[in-house]
Amino acid sequence: MRAYVRLELRRLARTPGLLIFTVLMPLMSYLLFTNINTITGQDKDVAATYTMVSMAGYGAIGALLNYASGLVIDRSIGWLRQLRLTPLPPLKVVLGKGVAAMGAALLPVVALCGAAVLINGVRLDAGQWLAILPLLWLGALPFALLGIALGYLATSQTAQPLNLLVYLGLSILGGLWLPLDALPSWVAAVGRLLPTHAYADMSWRVAFGGAPSASDVLTLAVWLAAFAGLAVLGYRRSVRSIASL
Amino acid sequence: MNAVELENLSYAYGNVRAVNDITLTVPAGEVVAVLGPNGAGKSTTLLMLLGLLPARTGRVRLFGRTPQAAAAAGQVGAMPQAGGLLPRSTVGDLLTFLHQVYPKPMPVAEALDLADLTGLAGRTVERLSGGQAQRLRFAMAVIGRPDLLVLDEPTAALDVEARRAFWTAIRHYAGQGRTVLFSTHYLEEADANADRIVVLDRGRVLADGTAAEVKRRVTVRTVSVQHQDQDYSVLPGVVAYAVKDGRAVLTSTDSDATVLALAEAGLLRDLEVAGAGLEDAYLALTRLEV
Repeated sequence: MRAYVRLELRRLARTPGLLIFTVLMPLMSYLLFTNINTITGQDKDVAATYTMVSMAGYGAIGALLNYASGLVIDRSIGWLRQLRLTPLPPLKVVLGKGVAAMGAALLPVVALCGAAVLINGVRLDAGQWLAILPLLWLGALPFALLGIALGYLATSQTAQPLNLLVYLGLSILGGLWLPLDALPSWVAAVGRLLPTHAYADMSWRVAFGGAPSASDVLTLAVWLAAFAGLAVLGYRRSVRSIASL
Repeated sequence: MNAVELENLSYAYGNVRAVNDITLTVPAGEVVAVLGPNGAGKSTTLLMLLGLLPARTGRVRLFGRTPQAAAAAGQVGAMPQAGGLLPRSTVGDLLTFLHQVYPKPMPVAEALDLADLTGLAGRTVERLSGGQAQRLRFAMAVIGRPDLLVLDEPTAALDVEARRAFWTAIRHYAGQGRTVLFSTHYLEEADANADRIVVLDRGRVLADGTAAEVKRRVTVRTVSVQHQDQDYSVLPGVVAYAVKDGRAVLTSTDSDATVLALAEAGLLRDLEVAGAGLEDAYLALTRLEV
C-alpha cells in the first residue's frame, strides 16, 4: 500500500490547481472575513480565531471531497480495472487513496493556522495547538470516507455537481462560512446536526478554552459510521459490476 | 500445467449473446492469437478470462486457480486496448509503482528498454503520443514478469514500424517460456506471431489450430463467372454463392477445384478469380460450420 500512497502523493504534487481551491481560497476568505469588520458580527480577535478553524476545516474538507472523488476518473479511465489485475488488493487501493487524500487535507490546516499566527496574531497555548491541529486534520476523516463513497456512487457526469452541492451545502449549513448564530434559527437547528458543524465545533471549543463536547464527538461518530457504510456499499457495487470497472 | 482453461463460457449483454459456450485450453508456454471481426466476442472473452467480468455460465481457471487468485499471485499481466493510465502520473512513477507491487518484477530500466520508452520516464501520461501510450501499457503489463500475458488488440494504435518493434518485444517475452494470448483483427498478424490461432465469430469458436491449418481454412477466393441458371452451390470448394450484376459470385475455399468443375460443366464464361478479404473468410468459415 505504501507504493500506492507514494504514487498518489507524487500525482498530488503535480496538481497545483487543487491548492487554489483548498488552500488559497480559504486563506483569502479568512483574511477578508477577519480584517473587514462586521462580516461575521464578531469581535476582531474572536473572529480571527473562530474563522481560522472554519476556513481550515473548509479547506480540509474540500481537499478530501475533491481528491477522493477523483476515484470517478480512475474508474472511468479503467485504472481501477488495471489495478485489479495486479497483486495489490482492491481494498488497499481505496485505503491508499484515502491516506493520500488525508495528506492533501493537511495543507490547508497548516496554512490557515500559520496565517492566523503570523498575520492575525492569534495566540493559543501549546496544549491548545496540540489538540486543534489533530482535531482539524484527523477529525476530517469522515469526509475522506464521504469522498470515497461519492467517488464510487457517482458517474463522471454527476460527480462534479454532486461534489459541489455536498461540499457547499454541508459547509454553509454547518456554520463554516458564517457562524450558526448569524443564520436563521431553523437553519442553525439543522446545522447543528451536520458533521461539518460537529467537526469544527470540537476545535472552536478548544480554541476558546474548552474541550470537545460529548455531543460533537457522538454526532461525528455517527456520520463517520454512515459515510463508512456508504463507502463500503459503493466499493462493493463497483467490484461486482462491469459498468464501473 | 495449463495456463488457461475456459469451460463452457457464456456471456450476454441483455439479449445479445456476446460469448456462446466457449471451451478453450491453453498449455503454458503457448502463444495464442484470438482472431475475429468486431463483435466476435474477443474482448468479452478476454475480460472473463481475466476475471474482470463474471461469466454468465461456465468456469475460468488460470494455472489451476481462479483469475483473482492468479492475479493476486502476480501471474497475470494485461494490456487493455485503451485507458488504464493514471492521469498526471509519469511513465516512471507508474512503472516504479508496479515494480513494487509484483513479487518477481523486472527492473524499471529493463521494462523501459523492452517497450522502447527509455528517456521518457519523466513524461506525464497526458503528454505521450498514442504509440507511446500503447508502449507504456505494454511495459506496465510485462514489468511484473507475469506467467500469462494478455493483450487486447495490442497494435491497433501503432504504425507499421512500431508494430514490427512491438512484436519483436512480445516474441522476446514469449521466448522466455511465458504464455501469451492476444486478440487481433488481422490474419497476417496472427499468422506471423502465434503458435496457434483461435478464430471467434459471433461468440463461438469457428476454428482452432496452428497458423497453417487455420490459414488453409480461412484463405478463400472469389470465383466469378457469367451467371447461368445453375445450382453453383454443389460445386467443390464453394461455401457461399451470390448473383450480382448478372454474374455468379462464388466464395471458394479451393478455387482450383471450383474452376476445374466449372470448366467440366461448361460454365466457364468470363472467369475472374480474386483473393477474398478476411470478412469473406469468416463468411466461409461460418458456412462450413452449418
